[in-house]
Amino acid sequence: MYAYKEQDKLFQSLCCEVSLSYIAALVFLSLFFSHPLYLLALFFALNLVILSAGIVRQWLTYLKFSLTLIFLIILVNALFVRAGATVLLYGVSVPLIGNIRITLEALCYGAGMGLRLLVMLGSFCLLTYAVHPDLILKTLGGGWSKIMLALGISLRLFPLITDDFVRITEAQRCRGVDFKVRNLRQRLEKYVPVLHTVLLSSLERSFQLAESLHSRGYGTTKRTNCREVLWRPRDYLVIVTVLLGSAYGMALVLTGRNGYGYYPKLQPFKEQEIIIAVCLALFFCFPALLDWGWEKWRFLRSKI
Amino acid sequence: MALLEVKNLTYYYPDEKRPALDHINLAIQEGEFVLAVGGSGSGKSSLVRALTGLIPDFYGGRIGGSVQLDGEDLSSLDRSKIVQRIGMVFQDPESQLVMTNVENELAFGMENLGLPVELMKRRIVEVSGALSLQQFLKNSIPQLSGGLKQKVMLASVLAMQPDILILDEPTSQLDPVAGEEILTMVRRLNEDNGITVILIEQRLERCFHLADRILFMDQGKIIYNSNDRKATASWAAANRNPFIPPLAKLFAEVGFAQAPMTVKEGRKLLKSSFHLQRTSSSNNTEIADGPKIKQESPLLEIEKLWFSYENGTEVLKNVNLTLFPSDFLVIMGENAAGKTTLLKNIRGLLHPSRGKIRIKGSEVKTMTVAALAGTVGYLAQNPNDYLFQPTVREEIEFTLHNLKLDKDSKVEMLLEKLALTRYAETNPRDLSTGERQRVALASILAADPLLIILDEPTRGLDYEMKALLGKLLGDLQKEGHALLVVTHDVEFAAEYASEILFMSRGQVLARDNKNVMLSRSIFYSSQIGKLFYKIDDSIVTFQEGKKALSEYFNLNKLEE
Repeated sequence: MYAYKEQDKLFQSLCCEVSLSYIAALVFLSLFFSHPLYLLALFFALNLVILSAGIVRQWLTYLKFSLTLIFLIILVNALFVRAGATVLLYGVSVPLIGNIRITLEALCYGAGMGLRLLVMLGSFCLLTYAVHPDLILKTLGGGWSKIMLALGISLRLFPLITDDFVRITEAQRCRGVDFKVRNLRQRLEKYVPVLHTVLLSSLERSFQLAESLHSRGYGTTKRTNCREVLWRPRDYLVIVTVLLGSAYGMALVLTGRNGYGYYPKLQPFKEQEIIIAVCLALFFCFPALLDWGWEKWRFLRSKI
Repeated sequence: MALLEVKNLTYYYPDEKRPALDHINLAIQEGEFVLAVGGSGSGKSSLVRALTGLIPDFYGGRIGGSVQLDGEDLSSLDRSKIVQRIGMVFQDPESQLVMTNVENELAFGMENLGLPVELMKRRIVEVSGALSLQQFLKNSIPQLSGGLKQKVMLASVLAMQPDILILDEPTSQLDPVAGEEILTMVRRLNEDNGITVILIEQRLERCFHLADRILFMDQGKIIYNSNDRKATASWAAANRNPFIPPLAKLFAEVGFAQAPMTVKEGRKLLKSSFHLQRTSSSNNTEIADGPKIKQESPLLEIEKLWFSYENGTEVLKNVNLTLFPSDFLVIMGENAAGKTTLLKNIRGLLHPSRGKIRIKGSEVKTMTVAALAGTVGYLAQNPNDYLFQPTVREEIEFTLHNLKLDKDSKVEMLLEKLALTRYAETNPRDLSTGERQRVALASILAADPLLIILDEPTRGLDYEMKALLGKLLGDLQKEGHALLVVTHDVEFAAEYASEILFMSRGQVLARDNKNVMLSRSIFYSSQIGKLFYKIDDSIVTFQEGKKALSEYFNLNKLEE
């Protein structure tokens, strides 16, 4: 089945261009920012939007995997980076690493990078679960229509292939194949026929699909795009805040205020930085605030 | 002038020495409903592909003769022009749909033709309205049922507004209700809109009477082409051609000059010929023949079985079932009644939430799926899931090898039993649907299971293949195997099963012998059963019908 599910939520009802701009702005700003407060602001806003888009359950699944990854980032950074003045732990010598020297600064740097990763993963979660895949492909289509069609078909076929895999494994089990053998090599060997069958079925399906495309005139003339772009007030409101937020963020980057000094000692947060973070959060949580009003007041819903 | 004209068409697939189409001559008039029938490999699909230009454009190969559309040779026409005039719907909707959303799928063909957005939008509204798809326009395609997917495919082709609609077994992957709906739509398009229809279909009892012209194909040739349905049915019966509806075959075999196409025509003929009276079925006690009490120990016992999926959906509710050796039980019921879930529970692929399933006294949940292979054989809906070895022989050997069974005599015996000897060294993926089905069945039978479970085994099979499968299952039943089959195919159940069990919403509604279960029903009844409804409710199979009809016929002669 597809990750995307149609829901009566504001974020899903936005023009694809607007939702893509929002996601792109978050990803790019998270790449440019290294200041933990700014990253935290983006992360906070993103969480509110995820909550308002009704995809919390999916986000939690993402979090489950990403937190393990972040823990690893923090651990590796703390073990290998020897910079930082505030030593938390000084221990025994370990081959390749040398003497263990864990500093608060290295830990915080790892956490900051983890936060950046979380913003990026959250953005992809939003893209996967709250933006219609067909619309993404159609919006990005343009001169790349063949590649986008191939991507679209892959998206459609992926759940079918997953179903094939489950069914074929069941068929093999019914023919006496035991996939629960302890020896990993033997177990992998048992999956070879399953993958072989999945591949054969997929090839047959691809051939039939190609025949269908041919019989429906694909590639005969220059394609048109049956896509209606209806901009509603909510789209204008969101895109304006996204543009303002992005411009604000870029101004921070251009004036060199996007960074943060982790080493040698953590730089204390200034009041101005806190205000900037709050502004950034406000810009980027605007879709969530709008959704709240959209849910609460029918009047607002009808107007935007 | 004919809309489509085929002149002396001969075609060879690449690297093939035998022609797939052999000197075909055919003329199809505008607005005609043409039905093409024949066994697998007879050339039906190749012919319709030649009519759309897919042969040789897409397939390559060698071609002779010509196909003309409105007097113009198809090979000289631009593909976009052909596509605008000839639309084609294939068997499996999953392998035709491209987009993830219904509205986008409807637009896809039109986008390929470069139509303006306004026109596309208008046609989407029109076609979705005509096919009752408006409420699904924003739906995600993977979430639709098989029937709806095929309907979307049909709508997508219709949105391109073709003059000719070609359908290659469009209902073969659908349940009877969804299949009926598709055929009704096709009939409406032909009658109300005058669209020329060329249909390949196996469920002849549902479309034979709709056709203006029927083509019988065999070995790449049109062996009979007529626009007189009744003469066609008589010809088919006289030539022992299996591709006619059971009703027409029945009357023709008994010696009637007329061969009815529908139950309505058949009952009218029956009553006018023999002056038969309606009887009250409730008084007929002859068929009230419930399951016999058996002395032997049961093979399968299901006690108070409940099953829910992880998301909490309750699929099976208090199912009780017993099966003895040599039983042949068919499970019928609407979609999502829990039939496949029940089979998977019996096979050990799913575990009951509550209740017990015992095979020969041992609880299924205590055994592994692999360990059960020697006792319970399970053939799922898609035989392709079982086929991956380079030859049919190796496919059978694979099961024997897994279960560490002796291969020597067993492989040859199975090949012979399932009429696969001549394909022993062939790649199973190169075989027809019916043959693939038999190879998959052989791979299951290699374990010599006492209980054989089949899920929709007749899907995509023609009459000839179904008869072959039915006979095979009958032989297995005689050998003492118990058979548990899930099918929507009422005709198959009526001919070959011993008992029928109806399921609905996860519960067993009724179980009895087939004559009881299939004779007093409006929907779950065979064509023969419907013919004798309230005349003789004990009749459901072809042979019973033939016997009764012969008796009436002889009695009538005596009276005269």
